[in-house]
Amino acid sequence: MTTSGERVVTEGAEGDRFGREKLRHLQLERLQMTLNRAYFHVDFYRSRLDALGVVPEDVKTDEDFRGLPFTTSEDLADHYPYGLFAVPLKNVVRLKIATSRDGRPIVVGFTKRDTNLWQSLVVRLFQRLGIHDRDIVQVAFNYSLFPGAFTFNQAAEALGATLAPSATVSAKLQLQIMRDFRSTVLAATPSFALHLMDTLDEESARGREFHDLSLKLMVLGPDPIPEALRDRIRSRLGIPAFGLYGVAEMVEPGLAGECPAFRGFHVAEDHFLAEVVHPVTGHPMGPGSEGELVITTLSAEAYPLIRYRTGDVVAVDAAPCPCGLNTMRLSPVRRRTDHRLSVRGIPVSPQRVERLLRETDPAIEDFRLMVGTRFGLGDSLEVWISLGTLIEESKSSRLERIRSRLRRELGLGVRVVDVSPERLPQEGLTYKTVFREKKEP
Amino acid sequence: MLKVVNVSAHYGPLAVLRRVTFHVDAGEIVCLLGANGAGKSTLLKLISGVMKPSEGEIFFDGVPIHGEAPERIVRRGLVHVPEARQLFPNLTVMENLELGGYIHGRRSLSHGLAEVFELFPILSERRRQKAGTLSGGEQQMLSIARALMARPKLLMLDEPSLGLAPLIVDEIYATVQRLHASGTTVLLVEQNAMGALDICRRGYVMETGRIVLAGSADDLAEHEDVQRAYLGRDYRHKWER
Repeated sequence: MTTSGERVVTEGAEGDRFGREKLRHLQLERLQMTLNRAYFHVDFYRSRLDALGVVPEDVKTDEDFRGLPFTTSEDLADHYPYGLFAVPLKNVVRLKIATSRDGRPIVVGFTKRDTNLWQSLVVRLFQRLGIHDRDIVQVAFNYSLFPGAFTFNQAAEALGATLAPSATVSAKLQLQIMRDFRSTVLAATPSFALHLMDTLDEESARGREFHDLSLKLMVLGPDPIPEALRDRIRSRLGIPAFGLYGVAEMVEPGLAGECPAFRGFHVAEDHFLAEVVHPVTGHPMGPGSEGELVITTLSAEAYPLIRYRTGDVVAVDAAPCPCGLNTMRLSPVRRRTDHRLSVRGIPVSPQRVERLLRETDPAIEDFRLMVGTRFGLGDSLEVWISLGTLIEESKSSRLERIRSRLRRELGLGVRVVDVSPERLPQEGLTYKTVFREKKEP
Repeated sequence: MLKVVNVSAHYGPLAVLRRVTFHVDAGEIVCLLGANGAGKSTLLKLISGVMKPSEGEIFFDGVPIHGEAPERIVRRGLVHVPEARQLFPNLTVMENLELGGYIHGRRSLSHGLAEVFELFPILSERRRQKAGTLSGGEQQMLSIARALMARPKLLMLDEPSLGLAPLIVDEIYATVQRLHASGTTVLLVEQNAMGALDICRRGYVMETGRIVLAGSADDLAEHEDVQRAYLGRDYRHKWER
């Protein structure tokens, strides 16, 4: 038996370096338990399987498993508040709010065991990157916008020292703290890392050099890291930036993370079963092919998810990695099936914006989300609107009403511009959205 | 070391195990918990070859053993101490032990006996006494000692605490821990969840022929479902029901 302190650091670490055969066996053990628990404790899954005339023990092969229906973001919203919980609320120690693709609330529950596991997954990712008890991890997230960020703090604390000035603290003060406390690791969003790099460049222009920083690496998420930003961090600071991946409806971060070999994001396959399917047909895609990531939780206690469609389009590589791990690797997320985008780390759904616009001002004719990007990262959002039929209310009052509603609902400052319908640009691959890379400052 | 994959078992038309998958690594001490009727003892019978699975595979040291005769499985080093001891009551302690060691031949008997007598000095004192006259705790010790005579790599114990006084249970568990420390891998089946979790590193929980939970011993000890599985209560209330 271990002490609880030891357990926090080591639990969940066991499957990381298993051979494929042993890992597959462990996955089968845990999948059977998950199906059993979901069937007996979650009415949603029970009625689904009953409708198919299937009981958990009928799932004998991979093919049987792939015959089970997908769980979607809409299912989670439909069964809000706790229709998908597998344990009584008194056993839930953490509730996390996410949003469905159509903007409805989803609440994910975690038992003590779930939160311990989540933390241990992040600890494992940290350890893999060489973060240890002598490191000072500066965690700089906006916690209200990225609730999973707390796990960075907890994981860093479990390993050693943590500094947690929120991202709402200015980049200048972040740098001062970084210097004064000799932070060795920065955990932040890619957008914030970019902002920090800009601030360093400004300081440099005023004659202050970077040499007094002690950073040895950055851990960035939840958005993918643009290669140009990674290169900039490497060339200016001489340090690597690693990405972490997660799914808001499960654990984010912690589901997968980059290894020192930079060969993709290793999935924690001992706790999650990953599939890649065609986003339209749902058919399995072969290794290397692009498709939607579908995840089944293998260890989640409070909120088990079976064949959950994440909406993230990735490619998978199952070949052994030079870093020594045998776990499957994901490419960075290439796009979203639901067109969700991210502006300064805040997720924005064009469909949700459309619904908010229609609710706020039904007379609106058409609109575009104009996303200003830097290094490919969403940096600013303008909503161009063709206001349509003239109504009694003044144009400026209509625009102000829309702007304040969007700001309130999205948690993001938005500029709202009235344009004539012919000035609305052609939308790209993302629904009603146009991306424009900003010029370097 | 032991890998059980998708094993099911039936008594006539009645399914008692439904696609059970679990494993025990070399050097581990693992417990299998569950209420009476959960299928734990059946599972051990399948592993030791006393019963045949209706489907599924069992591997010991990478070799498939499902379908093998029990004595062959014992020779491989997988030894089962059944529930309720199942000794030969009219034979002496010595004779029971000799029967346990017969697969290795007469020559190695004395060495085996010396070892088990060191582990259980009381059995040495009672070596000429009939097994049926021993106390419950002594019978359990003899049952384990008889299994040790077969020099197991993996020892499977089915409810060793059954019907014994708490002090004797502690003694039995202490012995199991000593065996484990000396290199024997142990699979312990118990209804006495808390006792078993005290000496195990990790465990599985069974309900109605299925494994429904697994985890470290610390985790399981705190887990409400362990209580439920142990007590066998139907417990489906949620906070609003």
